Amino acid sequence: MFSDAGTAPLNARNGVVPLRIRRVLRPIVATGYRVATVAIQLLIVSIVVFGILRILPADPLAMMLPPNATNEDAERMREAFGLNRSIPEQYAIWLGHTLQGDLGSSIQSRLPVGQLILTALPMTLELVFCGLVLGVFAGFCFGLITFTWRGTAVEKAAEVVASLAQSIPEFLWGILLILTFGLALHWLPFIGPIDAKMLVPSRTGFLLIDTLLAGRWDAFFSRLTHLTLPSIAIMMIKAPLIMRLLRSSLVETYTEDYIDSARLRGVGEMRILFRHALRNAALPTVTLIGVQAAHTFGGTLLIEAIYSLPGLGNLMIGAIRTHDLPLIQGITLTYCAVVLLLNMLVDLTYLWLNPRLRAT
Amino acid sequence: MTTWRRHPVLAETRVLIGAGILLSIVAVAALAPIIAPHDPNHQDLLRMLVPPFWKDGADADFPLGTDGLGRCVLSRLIYGARVAVIVGTVVPIGTALLGGIIALVAGYCGGWVDWSVSRTVDIWMSFPPVVLSLVLMVGLSPGLRNVILATILVDWTRFCRITRGAILGLMKLDYVSSARIAGATHVQVMLKDLLPGIFPIIITLFSVEIGIAVIVESVLSFVGVSVEPHIPTWGVMIADGLVTVFAEPWGLVLPMMAIILTVLGANMLGDGLRLSLDPRLASRPSLEV
Repeated sequence: MFSDAGTAPLNARNGVVPLRIRRVLRPIVATGYRVATVAIQLLIVSIVVFGILRILPADPLAMMLPPNATNEDAERMREAFGLNRSIPEQYAIWLGHTLQGDLGSSIQSRLPVGQLILTALPMTLELVFCGLVLGVFAGFCFGLITFTWRGTAVEKAAEVVASLAQSIPEFLWGILLILTFGLALHWLPFIGPIDAKMLVPSRTGFLLIDTLLAGRWDAFFSRLTHLTLPSIAIMMIKAPLIMRLLRSSLVETYTEDYIDSARLRGVGEMRILFRHALRNAALPTVTLIGVQAAHTFGGTLLIEAIYSLPGLGNLMIGAIRTHDLPLIQGITLTYCAVVLLLNMLVDLTYLWLNPRLRAT
Repeated sequence: MTTWRRHPVLAETRVLIGAGILLSIVAVAALAPIIAPHDPNHQDLLRMLVPPFWKDGADADFPLGTDGLGRCVLSRLIYGARVAVIVGTVVPIGTALLGGIIALVAGYCGGWVDWSVSRTVDIWMSFPPVVLSLVLMVGLSPGLRNVILATILVDWTRFCRITRGAILGLMKLDYVSSARIAGATHVQVMLKDLLPGIFPIIITLFSVEIGIAVIVESVLSFVGVSVEPHIPTWGVMIADGLVTVFAEPWGLVLPMMAIILTVLGANMLGDGLRLSLDPRLASRPSLEV
């Protein structure tokens, strides 16, 4: 993942730069290389999004004009939104505005797109974070359990449950959890981000943090209970992946000599597992978690719609239904930017965590 | 073991169960006009939200009850299978062809061809799949053909990336260069030497793609940007059922079960095929699916 991208330009200079400086420069150059790649990727992504939405036959004006509008009205509106210019021209104008932080205004609500996205983003990030924390926790627990009891009925049962959990897409998990824990058992709430009666001043946009800042423990717990079901829906898809990878890396790690030598030194099995094997086996799992964070972020749209959470996904679905092109463009770019940034962070973390990549 | 199960693929129980589930769904879809008791769009506004037969207040006319507009749930499920079967057949073929061919050419040619294909796949994969398919469906207009097109345009990268990796592995083997030395043309090497080598992977990805295609279609239907409104799909049934869930949950649960059953069948088929066709993959868990 990292090697072919980050090392190529450095190896070419191996003969010129002294080893000591190279050691210092290497991570900096590699980081810069990744940041530049992400910037270029984002630029291409913006061209793709713009191209898809402008070349394909969708007329945003059709949704806004009243039924009795004349052709002149349509023309005037087209001019007002700049839709009468050529597509490269429109792109250049849009890109210029975007680079200055202005993503345009929503056609439906007339509010600035950037503001709409910034209000919605914390909701989605909070959901992704909680879902991943649950998923990682469950994945590690079951990974350790299936590894400890490998080759027994426990492993088989866990494997069956994991396959079943993965056969159900996230949004169906969301509905199933509503049906069981929400409607049938009445254990947990499932509508909205927080109890509608609880008003908390918004400072960070992250409700879990805002409620704590306001010192409202009741609101904090209300938020937690509202987050539980959607987070479990995400967990059900993510935990099996983490469980399987952790187990297979543990199996691989246990074939290494240092496990045997630790055992010969009389180290207890528990200590071998947690101090020696898990630390090495966790590395690929950490990478997987990063990649899954990006996946989760792009996959919460329907969960948000089902649980009426006013996040980025819900905003996107609303924009799609009303053909709100500036909003769709802005949200899609936000999604891609976050995914690319997360992937970059995974690569860089991997570089810093893996001594084999760091030392050379 | 009976004679017909001697072949390693047929000896794998998961392959049989998975294929059995998928074939039954195909049969239901094909026989829809014969076995469906009602027109799936016929509204009986006097008999709305009738519960299924095992509950009190059921109506013998509607074995699985009716939805919020008095439409027969059983008939809609049966007709909904048609969209699922078409999408679940055409999309995997399309992704396998598009992704497979691009991967074959990229892996075989190497150099700048491979580089540009890999970068394109990277860019394409930075779009979350659901987001990209929604954006594509805004650009294209609703309709079965466009749903299939959008899903193929989103999912070819998965095929491409995995198949390309497999081809790069094969290219290191001696028999490919021997074939070139023996005078085989580039096309001959690709089709006769490389293609059979990646066939197990293509078959496995194909069967997993069946489930993914059905899920993607139901997601698009749920949002309301899939096929035309008069065609019943399981995703639309779920969206409708969610509105009336407080009155009658079975209109929601049954189409969900249909989707889960299809995906389960496809995943079992895929798992079974992977284990029986490719012994190298047998010990490794798959991360891609």
